[in-house]
Amino acid sequence: MSSIVLQQAINGIVVGSLYVLVALGLTLIYGVLVQINFAHADIVTLGAFAAYGVTHLLSGNYLAGIAAALVLGAALGWLINAGIFAPLRERGSELLPLIATIGVSIMLQNTMLALLGPIPYAFDTPYSNQVLRFGTLFLTMQNLLIILVSSISIGLLYGFMKFTFLGKALRAVSQDRETAGLMGINPNHLIMLTFVIASALAGLGGAMLGPVLVLTPFAGTSVIVKAFAIVIIGGFGNVEGTILAGLLVGLIESYTTQFLDPGLIDIVVFALLLLTLAVRPTGLIAERREENV
Amino acid sequence: MNAFSTFTRSACIAGCLLAVATTSSLAADKVIKIGGLLPMSGPGSYFGAQDKQGIELALDQLNKSGVNGYKFEIQYEDSACGPLPASQAAKRLIDQYKPDVLIGEECSDATLAIMPIVEEAKIPLINAGSSSIKITDPGNPWTFRIMPNEVMQGVDIATNAYKRLNARTAVLLHENTNAGIGNAQVFADTFTKLGGKVLADIGFGRDVNDFTAIATRIAGMGQADVIPTYTLEGQGLKITQALMQAGVVKGGGGNSIQLGTIWLPFGFEQKAGKAALGYIRIVQFDPTDQRSQVHDFVQAFKAKFNSEPTHLNAHAYDQILLIADVVKRGGMDAQSIRDLLAQTKNFSGVTGSVEFDKTNQNIKMDTVHYMETKPDLSWTSLKWN
Repeated sequence: MSSIVLQQAINGIVVGSLYVLVALGLTLIYGVLVQINFAHADIVTLGAFAAYGVTHLLSGNYLAGIAAALVLGAALGWLINAGIFAPLRERGSELLPLIATIGVSIMLQNTMLALLGPIPYAFDTPYSNQVLRFGTLFLTMQNLLIILVSSISIGLLYGFMKFTFLGKALRAVSQDRETAGLMGINPNHLIMLTFVIASALAGLGGAMLGPVLVLTPFAGTSVIVKAFAIVIIGGFGNVEGTILAGLLVGLIESYTTQFLDPGLIDIVVFALLLLTLAVRPTGLIAERREENV
Repeated sequence: MNAFSTFTRSACIAGCLLAVATTSSLAADKVIKIGGLLPMSGPGSYFGAQDKQGIELALDQLNKSGVNGYKFEIQYEDSACGPLPASQAAKRLIDQYKPDVLIGEECSDATLAIMPIVEEAKIPLINAGSSSIKITDPGNPWTFRIMPNEVMQGVDIATNAYKRLNARTAVLLHENTNAGIGNAQVFADTFTKLGGKVLADIGFGRDVNDFTAIATRIAGMGQADVIPTYTLEGQGLKITQALMQAGVVKGGGGNSIQLGTIWLPFGFEQKAGKAALGYIRIVQFDPTDQRSQVHDFVQAFKAKFNSEPTHLNAHAYDQILLIADVVKRGGMDAQSIRDLLAQTKNFSGVTGSVEFDKTNQNIKMDTVHYMETKPDLSWTSLKWN
């Protein structure tokens, strides 16, 4: 039984790492803009398809596929901010960007549907079927790669936010945009940077999720609801909280599957969300909102 | 030219134009309007995409000369494999297009939602993809199903698992929908009555992506001889691969055999790779069937779409051919099409034959074909039925 418990912990960390990659982008944007980007799920999907396409074009070079997804995600982030958020922000509306991103999401989904079709793609990387076995425990190379890439990305993001000038400036903008502007920081540039980083993470998340997800134009939608829950459980805009909540949700899913029933996963996860809102409305790691991001 | 002759000539021309217009109008009226309620978005959209190919091929062939002077036209609505979008799509289609007959949906939950709407509108619905027993039992007079229901399929596959595969233990995997739960229940009931033991009944939502945790749980249970699996293609792929990675099924060095029904199209094996080795499942179309109409269908499909037809293509093709058969027997509107559908006996389609019982369920089992995935990822027909 102990080996099963350990195996499910490994499974949970893999799934949790994927959730963290997706949820971090959402929380970053919320931390800086207090806005939700509903097109985030579709950037995840596009990242998955970009990784799929490049991997197949380059005869199985999955690492190139990951890079392509990262770049595509960053480019989409720049586009969505430049084309939608920035102009609508100038009009001073908080609701319009929200609705606009729903529109972008529907448009992207249907464009993908028209171009790529509805039939699920089988995205197998050279690592998907390489299984490492340690006694009764097993881990695919793909899952090991997911843990590695997620850990490195999270580490780099954390280091960037805490130790670089740009990261500190970004945190300053999230605390008080006007005062940061008076200190010589251009908030618009930093908001753009936030979008680029958040969407690059979504693209990266897509590349890592692609071989795990049922890859269709609606693939990202299936994880985004969980990602929103993770952002709320972790505390809106709180990077550390999001990481913790993502891993926690991954572990909850695994252990619910093992000891209860996979059909109860959503009930357990969303019960945790409600409990968090009731007991710790600021999230697992309580911080004043101004100090988030 | 005097005014009278000018008037006469104008009247003649107008009369001729009116006659031509009336004739054209009458010709145009001789159309059977088919409403297609198919999932075209969401995880079940592969059903709709493949159904449309079968429908297009059938309409191309039928409309070359028509049937009893009737041509056929179709209008689609996206019913999205779910009760709410399906019922909205059905109302829209019925209100705006006013079809003589409807085909669809694929997913049982969606079909069950449509049924009261078609009954109220008194328009016959032909279904080829939903297996839930509730669709025909109790069903309603306006809904017809041309494929075996979950009981017919479930009893058959459980009996074959016990008697032909000598399976004594099973783990059930299914999505938590009417069809998923119903299919698994029928298997469990039949298998346990025969003397088998169900080790676990594992249901999951359509939003589950990673099946490693489920595969781990199954691996920890000890030997499961068979794993009947009821899910859509996308999740089916992930389950099969996870079972291989966990060393449960033959492709991963285990001994368990996955069993499935009609939810997966041809091509699944190639997508799943060696994980699909030894997978045995029901398909309701055998392209190697020696009947000439099957051969002709396969050739025509290849010529039009440059790919091999799947059972979904074949099912949709048969639905249209059945409508044409009814029109040939005198069907011309919703009521007469319904009445003649109910009298159908020995209709021969490319998936098999159709004869409805009093619940409008096709009682023929020759649409059930078993196939097994071979090591080279091709498949072989097991000829169990």
